[in-house]
Amino acid sequence: MEGTERELFARSLRHALESGRGGDVLDGSLDGLGWHEALVEDPRTAVSVLFELQGAAGAHSSALPAVLGYGLGMAPPATAGLVLPRPGHAGPPGTVDRGRLTVHGLAGTVREREGTVVVVAGTGDGDAVADVSVDDLDLRKIDGLAPHLGLVEVVGTDVPYTVWDELPDGRWERGVALARLAVGHQLVGTSRRMLELARRHALERIQFDRPIGSFQAVRHRLADTLIAIEGADAALQSAWDDGSIESAAVAKALAGRGARTTARHCQQVLAGIGFTTEHPFHCSLRDTLVLDQLFGTANSLTREFGRRLLATRQLPPLPPL
Amino acid sequence: MELDEFRSSLDTWLDRHDETLRATHGAGATLDDQMAHLSLVKRLTYEAGWMRFGWPERVGGLGGSPLLRAYLGEALTSRDLVEPGIYSMTEVLAPTMIDFARPELAAVMVPRLLSGAETWCQGFSEPGTGSNLAALTCRATRDGDAWHVTGQKVWTSLAQYADRCVLLTRTGSVDSAHRGITALFVDMDSPGIVVRPIETMHGAPEFSEVFFDDVVVRVDRTLGHEGQGWAVAMDLLPYERSTALWHRAAYLYARLQSLLHAAPPDSLDPVAVGEVAQLVFALRARSRATQHRVAAGEHLGPETSIDKVLVATAEQAVFDLVADGLGPDVAMGDDPTSARWRRELLYSRAATIYGGTAEIQRNIIARRLLDLGSER
Repeated sequence: MEGTERELFARSLRHALESGRGGDVLDGSLDGLGWHEALVEDPRTAVSVLFELQGAAGAHSSALPAVLGYGLGMAPPATAGLVLPRPGHAGPPGTVDRGRLTVHGLAGTVREREGTVVVVAGTGDGDAVADVSVDDLDLRKIDGLAPHLGLVEVVGTDVPYTVWDELPDGRWERGVALARLAVGHQLVGTSRRMLELARRHALERIQFDRPIGSFQAVRHRLADTLIAIEGADAALQSAWDDGSIESAAVAKALAGRGARTTARHCQQVLAGIGFTTEHPFHCSLRDTLVLDQLFGTANSLTREFGRRLLATRQLPPLPPL
Repeated sequence: MELDEFRSSLDTWLDRHDETLRATHGAGATLDDQMAHLSLVKRLTYEAGWMRFGWPERVGGLGGSPLLRAYLGEALTSRDLVEPGIYSMTEVLAPTMIDFARPELAAVMVPRLLSGAETWCQGFSEPGTGSNLAALTCRATRDGDAWHVTGQKVWTSLAQYADRCVLLTRTGSVDSAHRGITALFVDMDSPGIVVRPIETMHGAPEFSEVFFDDVVVRVDRTLGHEGQGWAVAMDLLPYERSTALWHRAAYLYARLQSLLHAAPPDSLDPVAVGEVAQLVFALRARSRATQHRVAAGEHLGPETSIDKVLVATAEQAVFDLVADGLGPDVAMGDDPTSARWRRELLYSRAATIYGGTAEIQRNIIARRLLDLGSER
């Protein structure tokens, strides 16, 4: 998409997010705005614009399975029922061992589900795509830290399944890389929302006859927040340019760590009010901690990256100027 | 010439001339060695044309995008042919001359800087004027068609090697703050200038004190107009945080790569390695976007303070990792390679101090980017 078209697309999405409430409303808008077509035509714009806006608005949709599915080479409607890896993991949610399928993953927003979900399963000999009947799985609506996300834990042992496709080597990793970029953008959007809440508070809250934003300790915390956000944002953009799996993992880790840093500084600036449910900050903190868990945490991605660097003794190439 | 063509032709040329371009002094270089070698590399790249790309034709350049300059510095730095700090002075000083010197003066002088025939320095800081640049007191008094300069500068990089100096002087009243500052282009061999290099903890006397005692500077050496010195300084600072930082990022990437090769097994914590590499990636990604904004003709402003904080943070993180991975060499090695790691580690401690401290950058970010209003 070109500049103006992209701007128009962003504005329509923003409007849908601001007027909508809850996942289903937003999903309807995504269909209406042609987001799924945009995902195929211009995945960078579709993903970066939607997910950053979701983060900034504290909104949610079931677009993440669609992104993973697109990365795996699937098309709707199959992608709507695609099961995501469980928190803290990035491998396929299913495993097939001697013909028996075990499933442990996450489904997106709770909806009236009928029929089947789609599970990618490691078979020890590549990855297979299988249909599984919802009736054969245990579904648990996750309350946890962020009930408003409407996530569902999906578990099943020795589940009947029908394989309808096999993924080429490395395809799962490519899908995960795309999903990491999406979650990374959402973390950046969430971070920008937290910073704006704290910034506004710093200007309005008067102590010692001055706005607290005039105190250098407060200013430097907020400056550090912006630095963390812009570093992560730049890494995400660079990962799109680069297209490598490694760059997406680096960007997701930076976005996750950046959001945790942001949450820490902004909560301290917001002080008492940010600790209450009367102020919206806590929702962003909850989102941050949950989003960090999806497709590998900042910490686990960093450790894996460091291990690989020490094993190969070689930095990966970076996108040229 | 387009960037892709420039990149491949330059890479081929650098491969072919590697032996001529590579310093013979190795890792244990003194600053004198490094400066002599820098002049050589600049001369050879200028004569072959590379150094002239990305600069306007009216100052001896061959035109083209500033991205070409960014890539030249990246290539020379990552091949370890130049040290980025002393190389990138050109990126800070030449644009100032192009923007503010009389066209005839810029046309004569800039080629001397690009070709390595001359070294220039930047006389900004004073003993009483570090971060608070607007309080500078080095006085210039107008007498006919000459300025008479009296005062002192400090932390002037490479002053002992410099042929010229871009000097900020007080020409207004004592309390005229940023309004009463004028920038002058001063010949360093003028009578009345005394340079005293400062011994630094990393072992290279990179900075100097510079004393001015009734130094005469012709009025046609004024950069911009009288009283426009603040604009000259503000114009220069974003350059200090753009192309020069891209070169520095290339250097940090190369040094982190060298550390990965050199560190003994199990001397490094994987999480720490991963985190430092991510910081270098983020810096490079941010600086890359900045280079493209420069190339698109965008005006750089306070957002470059983010780039500056990222580079300082990444540099100290890389060399903190060196202290972990190569600790015994850094602490006790007396071979040239250990001495180089030690020198670089010590120098990295200054990364959050020079060119505007980390605190000043955060003040700029808070006031100009976050719109948090005044500090009082």
